[in-house]
Amino acid sequence: MRVQQLAARTGYYTTAAALAIVFLFPLVWAGWASVKPTPGSGQQVGYGFGNFIKLAHYGKGLPTYLLNSTLIAAIAVAGTLVVATLAGYAFARFRFPGRNLLFLAILAILMVPYPTLLIPLYVLLGWLGLQNTLVGLALVLTMFQLPFATFIMRNSFEAVPRELDEAAMVDGATTLAVLTRILLPAVRPGLITVGLFAFLASWSDFVVPLILISSPDKFPLPVAVVNMQQQVFGSIDYAALEAGVVVLAAPCMVLFLILQRGYVRGFMSGSLKG
Amino acid sequence: MSRRSSYVLARFWTVLIGSAALAMFGGLAACGKSANKDNKEAAKSADSDSGATITMWTRAATEAQSKMLVEAYNASHKNKVELTVVPTDNYAQKIATAAGGKALPDVFAADVIFAPNYTSKNLFLDITSRIDALPFKDSLAPSHIKLGTYQGKKYAVPHTIDLSVIFWNKDLYQKAGLDPEKGPTTLKEMAEHAKKIQALGGEIAGTTLGGNCGGCGVFTIWPSIWAAGGDVMNADGTVATLDSQQVKDTFAVWRQLYADGIAQPGSKDEQGPTWVGRFQSGNVGVGPMPSTTLAMMDKAGLKVGVIPIPGPDGGQSTFVGGDVLGIAATSKNADAAWNFLSWTLSDAAQVEVLAKNKDLIARTDLAENKYSAADPRVVTTLKVLAKGRTPYALNFNQTFNDPQGPWLATMRAALFGPDLNAGLTEGNAKVTASLAQK
Amino acid sequence: MAAPNALFSRSAAARRSQYQLAGIAYATPAALVVGVFFLVPLGLVLWMSLHQWPLIGDPTFNAPANYTRIRDNALFIDAVWFTLKYTIVVTILLFAAAFGLAMLVQRPRPGVGFFRTAFFLPGAVGFATASLLFYGLLSRDLGPLNPILSALGLIGKPISWVSGSPNLALGSSIGLVIWRWAGFNMLILLTGLQAIPGEVYEAARVDGASRWQQFTRITLPLMRPTIALVLILMITGSLLAFDQFYILTNGGPDNSTTSVVMVIVREAFTRFDLGSAAAVSVLVLATLIVFNVVQLRVLRRGDRPAGD
Repeated sequence: MRVQQLAARTGYYTTAAALAIVFLFPLVWAGWASVKPTPGSGQQVGYGFGNFIKLAHYGKGLPTYLLNSTLIAAIAVAGTLVVATLAGYAFARFRFPGRNLLFLAILAILMVPYPTLLIPLYVLLGWLGLQNTLVGLALVLTMFQLPFATFIMRNSFEAVPRELDEAAMVDGATTLAVLTRILLPAVRPGLITVGLFAFLASWSDFVVPLILISSPDKFPLPVAVVNMQQQVFGSIDYAALEAGVVVLAAPCMVLFLILQRGYVRGFMSGSLKG
Repeated sequence: MSRRSSYVLARFWTVLIGSAALAMFGGLAACGKSANKDNKEAAKSADSDSGATITMWTRAATEAQSKMLVEAYNASHKNKVELTVVPTDNYAQKIATAAGGKALPDVFAADVIFAPNYTSKNLFLDITSRIDALPFKDSLAPSHIKLGTYQGKKYAVPHTIDLSVIFWNKDLYQKAGLDPEKGPTTLKEMAEHAKKIQALGGEIAGTTLGGNCGGCGVFTIWPSIWAAGGDVMNADGTVATLDSQQVKDTFAVWRQLYADGIAQPGSKDEQGPTWVGRFQSGNVGVGPMPSTTLAMMDKAGLKVGVIPIPGPDGGQSTFVGGDVLGIAATSKNADAAWNFLSWTLSDAAQVEVLAKNKDLIARTDLAENKYSAADPRVVTTLKVLAKGRTPYALNFNQTFNDPQGPWLATMRAALFGPDLNAGLTEGNAKVTASLAQK
Repeated sequence: MAAPNALFSRSAAARRSQYQLAGIAYATPAALVVGVFFLVPLGLVLWMSLHQWPLIGDPTFNAPANYTRIRDNALFIDAVWFTLKYTIVVTILLFAAAFGLAMLVQRPRPGVGFFRTAFFLPGAVGFATASLLFYGLLSRDLGPLNPILSALGLIGKPISWVSGSPNLALGSSIGLVIWRWAGFNMLILLTGLQAIPGEVYEAARVDGASRWQQFTRITLPLMRPTIALVLILMITGSLLAFDQFYILTNGGPDNSTTSVVMVIVREAFTRFDLGSAAAVSVLVLATLIVFNVVQLRVLRRGDRPAGD
């Protein structure tokens, strides 16, 4: 029995470790390549952070781009969480005319190639007076997140037994109270997933901000990084690219490390018992 | 459900859909209305430097030069230019979107070979009389002016110049027993040099190309065809001539280089991102490269020699690339914009900003200035400018630059396919069809 | 008997319509966002598909020319076949990878947090950047992959992973997609896995069910909504694949990995034919709507007890 257990455990860890190496290798390589000496880059001789310094000073400077990225991500995440949670609740618990049609309309967002939507979106933002604004961009990014976010929230709400709702309502709770006091804590892993993915998408998106924003001081970080790495004839400054990868991925990694504990707790809490 | 709440519901959905529909059709009406642009000449204002803000877009590939010019202009004028740099690969997309949304900037740069396409789509303002009023109008880089001309009217001025030339690595030449101060004067001679360098072994390669990159091929292979007296298409870019003798001879040399393993084997699949990096790594002996990368090569510690691109048996030519600059058709600041445009062509800008930074300048009358004489390689490059060409075609991008276009397939068939002549003949028909496509 | 019945049904009806109004209220923000930021632009796309739409100037009505010309676009026809083939292969492989990873990290063990992070981390890189990163990584002459594989003795001479052949190009793209998206889908599947209460497994174990029986009779059925979401995302995402081909393989070698959306982008931003691009997009959208409606019906059949 002990030997069997040991063999199983070794097998598990070997497999997991091998996979972890495969998944981490490109990022580790990017990190190493961003500090190694590369002719013609910001770091020509010896190891160092020359590429990062070059990135920090590029264009309007790193702080401006970081601030823009943060603002865009904050609005998009808040917007997505609010809209998708309310909509998920509606789809999971209520029947109303137009329900299926609305769900299909939301899903349809996934089915349109986004380059096609960009020109009409640009025109639309102009009509709304939101052209070249971070708010307009964040609203568009929220829209693109809706299908995934609504679907996840709907699934999460549906997984909670209705008896909990009904018990509370018999006691006189309103639908809003049921949502905030009973359901939200139960769907925490879903909320974390939605928030995290909304953050990732809006933090690293590059084409949508590029097209919808034109003032150089409003560009988020990915646009600046792409500009910095592109040179004549489509040739790429790979050292700059890798420095960009590191800078952009670092906050996401930190965020995920913090949030992923929520998954474990969600599993362990057994809030769905009884 | 009760009748009352079903009315409420019906009203709710109607209002929602109705306002969406209204917004849509209202906006479409506005969108559909013509730009009502008056493309006629505006009178030149005496005081066009009055503190206006001029918005300008440029591609990332051109950032360095555009930025230098903008900063120098802003430092010496009341008008201020606000420069936005856009990633090169998405530039067309951004221009198209802005055009569709009637929100183009005042001024924007464009790759010179796309100028015919842009002018034919009414993106630029007609500035014929403004250009003709310039005292140095006849010494502006002729190929750029030609590409910015459509149906007799001029729409753009030269902004940057990028020529294709042969670079050779002097250290590798020395190691291979070649004279490090003498570059090849014919393409066949270049092949000989490459062969000797390939023999050095290891990671060293004789030469390299962008084998899976249509735009790179245009830039590096066509000059040899021109140097031999031939051409790839007719003067107005409607019929291809890829099955002509000079084209076959040029491709034959490159095809042999690949067959013998003298051209870097991995470069067969080079799509562009690492094309320049191959030479910059110091592992390539000789080959055609953009002249604007000279400073980058120097910085990487290479000792580079420069010579014009030759044909198979001699001659010299170059692809005159770079950017043009024009005023957008929708601009409301045409006078201020022209103030900036014309300043970029002035002596001060051309000599003290561009030439000082070792960049090529657009004015042939200023070619021999105090800075250009300093580096003999720059002099070499300037001299070949007069022998170079910028090919004209309305459908240049979709035919020659686009990876899904027919040129790339033809080039690869000629270089790597089973039969050189068949590949060129078949490809020629497809290229002609694409050039003619409406 | 009429009076008590009438009273009873009126308050029940009132409660039901109040309930409905609440549902509508909760759905309204989403309806607004979708209506304004999606349906309106979509309407414009539809409108554009019926016109010859210049960048600057007046559009001219030319329906159904934009649609009928699609038939003659050989590049598009080839792209459709390629995209279908690609979707089938990638969906199977990516789903297996994501599910496998999710099963691997669902139980709390020492180090599972590290593994979860490792698998998910590629999702922190924007897809366009990831594609470019892979281009450098897989570069025959300048990337580290060939030297490492040679040193390990796995390959004889350097391989051109990205453009050596159509199969290599396809393989590289699939590798990129799995690397980038397996962790993302793993996380979605994890939320589904963890929503299954532990007691259900306990009860089954007590009844003598084997691991395999637990998996097929408990896990899979209860995971249905999550699996539905993941499959819809994967299939739709693959049918609309763009960045990996545009950036990693350029649609090559020799147009062997050109996808449908690449053709649309080419129509719009290389040929500047906005009407044609709009028409192809509408066609793709219609196909996908039909396909997804069918898929949803199949996957949700006999699923939710109430409220469907």
